[in-house]
Amino acid sequence: MSAGPVAAQAPGAATRHAAPLARWSLWVLLAALVAGLLVTLVWLAGRYEASQVQDKLERDTAEAAADIRSALNRNVQHLLALQSTHGQRAQWDREAGALLREHPEWVRIEWRDTALGILAAADSPFRPPAFERMGRPHAQADVALACASSRRMSGPAYSGSYFLPQVDGLGIEVMELCLPHMTQGQLAGYVVATYSLGDVLATLVGPQLRRSQEVSFTEADGTRLALHGVPRRGRRVFTAQQLLDLPGNTIVLRMDSWRGAPDVFPNVLTALVTAMSIALVIVLFMLGKDMRLRLRAEQDLADALAFRKAMEDSLVTGLRARDLQGRITYVNPAFCQMLGFSPEELLGHSNPAPYWPPELVDEYSKRQEIRLAGQLTPPREGYESVFMRKDGSRFPVLIIEAPLINAHGVQTGWMSAFLDISEQRRIEELSRATQERLQATARLATVGEMASLLSHELNQPLAAISSYASGSINLLKAHATSAAGSPAIADIEVAMRRIAEQAERAGKVIKSVHDFVRRSDKDREPVTPQHLLEAVMPLVSLQARKLGVRVQVRAKAGLPPVLCDRTMVEQVLLNLARNAMQAMDEAAVAAPALVFEVRHAPAGDAAADRLEFSVGDVGPGISDEVQARLFTPFFTTKSEGMGLGLSLCRTVVEQHGGSLSFEANRPQGTIFRFTLPQAPIPAAASIAATA
Amino acid sequence: MQPAANATVFIVDDDASVREALAWLLRSRHLLGEGYAGAEEFDAMLEGGWSPSHPCCLLLDVRMPGMSGLALFDRLVERALVDVMPVIFLSGHADVPTAVTMVKRGAFDFCEKPFSDNALVDRVEQALRRSQEVLQERHEQQRLQARLTELTDRERDVMRLVVEGLPNKLIADQLDISVRTVEVHRARVFDKMEVKSAVELANMLRRL
Repeated sequence: MSAGPVAAQAPGAATRHAAPLARWSLWVLLAALVAGLLVTLVWLAGRYEASQVQDKLERDTAEAAADIRSALNRNVQHLLALQSTHGQRAQWDREAGALLREHPEWVRIEWRDTALGILAAADSPFRPPAFERMGRPHAQADVALACASSRRMSGPAYSGSYFLPQVDGLGIEVMELCLPHMTQGQLAGYVVATYSLGDVLATLVGPQLRRSQEVSFTEADGTRLALHGVPRRGRRVFTAQQLLDLPGNTIVLRMDSWRGAPDVFPNVLTALVTAMSIALVIVLFMLGKDMRLRLRAEQDLADALAFRKAMEDSLVTGLRARDLQGRITYVNPAFCQMLGFSPEELLGHSNPAPYWPPELVDEYSKRQEIRLAGQLTPPREGYESVFMRKDGSRFPVLIIEAPLINAHGVQTGWMSAFLDISEQRRIEELSRATQERLQATARLATVGEMASLLSHELNQPLAAISSYASGSINLLKAHATSAAGSPAIADIEVAMRRIAEQAERAGKVIKSVHDFVRRSDKDREPVTPQHLLEAVMPLVSLQARKLGVRVQVRAKAGLPPVLCDRTMVEQVLLNLARNAMQAMDEAAVAAPALVFEVRHAPAGDAAADRLEFSVGDVGPGISDEVQARLFTPFFTTKSEGMGLGLSLCRTVVEQHGGSLSFEANRPQGTIFRFTLPQAPIPAAASIAATA
Repeated sequence: MQPAANATVFIVDDDASVREALAWLLRSRHLLGEGYAGAEEFDAMLEGGWSPSHPCCLLLDVRMPGMSGLALFDRLVERALVDVMPVIFLSGHADVPTAVTMVKRGAFDFCEKPFSDNALVDRVEQALRRSQEVLQERHEQQRLQARLTELTDRERDVMRLVVEGLPNKLIADQLDISVRTVEVHRARVFDKMEVKSAVELANMLRRL
């Protein structure tokens, strides 16, 4: 018995354990995936941004290189223009000065002869003379190299850069430009311009390019030659390099951007949007799940509703709901059937309801007002009322009302249940009628018994009077014949005769009264014992229930009918049963029981064709003292009894030619027995039937 | 025919005044009444070995406490006393149907209370006469029986054939005795049976 559920439970518990575990790991996996996705997204976005920055830097570098290259070319043009003043020293000085003022990238411009001897020179007005510390001859090798190249190419040539210490202790990186001066195909001299690389960067690179990045010249091996722009500390530095290929010299233009790390914020924003999308999906998923739950709940609800509906439809009890305004909001089929109205005729109907009898509308309206005002809670056991069917017939109903309370705990109306109690009423009426009939018979029987008893009791003294009178007359007659009759004796004889006559008259009066109340033999009919018992059983049960007595009937089926006045015999049974139950009640018997029994009377001369009825109890029995006087009229042990019950029973039984007796019941109590004659078999009728 | 002087009328009634009044009434007609207060008392008297030696009858009240008149009647029927002691039921109105039944079962009569007294006494006298007759009958029979027992076997054989109406000669042949012997037996039978003729003898025997 106990092994089954335990065994069945174990796998159930395991699955219950396993399911959340799987769900947990799924959730963790989902979270990890989402995190991975977000990280990847941010990383990709950062990379993209970095590549964007790198691209821009590359472009900027290319642009800066182009700027420098074109500016250098323009400068070459300016120097060419300066050559046209060869020969006029003063003019050259003036124009060289003007050029130097316009081009801060130049440190010095020189006019040299074909042997590289300096003819004229001008220093940049923006700085102290650059060669003051080192002296110009220090740079003679570089100039010579550049001029050799220029003469070979018949065009401008640049020297390699070199460091030129300055008087202030610092130094600048410079580069020489040598431009040959050709006059009619003959070398006439050279123009040498010295560029300061740092100033080249400062002047020739567009200001928008310099603003956010560091621009520098480096050797091919990465040695930094000149730098422009304040180096900033960024978390990340982007670098782009461009080869600046000049005639005679090649340097690398390098640009460093310290934009720092790519901005996190927009990426976070992207991530946020992504996260929200994921959240949205999850929410959608959950909504879907919720919807499924809801659908299932709805399905369950629909099932429950169908169940309820079937239940309501199958009820024989009428149901009706009203809202707080008294309008009918619901009726079940039983209610409609009870009244004969269709649901459509009832729903939404307010006062007066169509099933209220017109004469009772006022009373019902008042009752409903009180009910709706909530001043009076309806009795739990219900109350009775009268309704009218559609055809106008009235019928009693039992109404049980209860407040209708919705899911929020607010009363929305009243629910009432109706029971058609007309059948119950009819049975009650019938039972009452039976009881009244029996009571009436009982009264009549009591009166009859009174008369019978009176006649018996009076007959005795009357008989005595009559006897004495007759005897006296006899004696007087004898006296009169023997002796001479005296007038006095004759008078006495007359008086005696009168006494006898009056006694006889009194007897006749009593007889006539008795005959009047006594029921005649004509009322006798064949009745089966079962019918007799069934007739008294409702009343017996009524009292038995009140006193807690168990009633038992032992009557074999197929017992023949008895010939009797059934109401009188019912009375006898009822009397005996009541006596028995009262006796048991007064003695407070633990398990009171009442046994009716009918059987064939034991064989005997007088009882050959009789049935014996007995009523037995388990009461205290009858004392000897009471036994002696039991049938004495007007003798009773009950405070309110008249003492006629048993006497009446005996009279009735004896009138039927039976006898009433009693004996002690075993193990305790008393049994009263009486016999009744069987109804004769209607021989004449059977002969007539066969004929 | 007046009832014998020693005739007794038994009165069984629970009411003493009624018993006394009835006894008084009977005495006024020169009849002896003997009262009993109840059926049990009377039954006890019968139980005590009473046997009817002289005419008697019983005035019996139907309804009494304890043993009823009807029960007592049943006892009398059992004892085969209702012939020699005719029973007249005294009944109230309620008991009339019962009393009628009892008459059918052998009661002499019933009288409704209050009875018309001299009529009752008349019936009592009739009952007593009946009782006397029955008694006489019984007495006759007893005497007859006694006489019959006095006869010898041979005499009884002769008597049987005489009653059958056979002449002496034939009787002698049948019994294989002489005619003379038959005549002697015959005379002795007549003598013992106190009859004078064969016809008288036959009548007497028929009564048995």
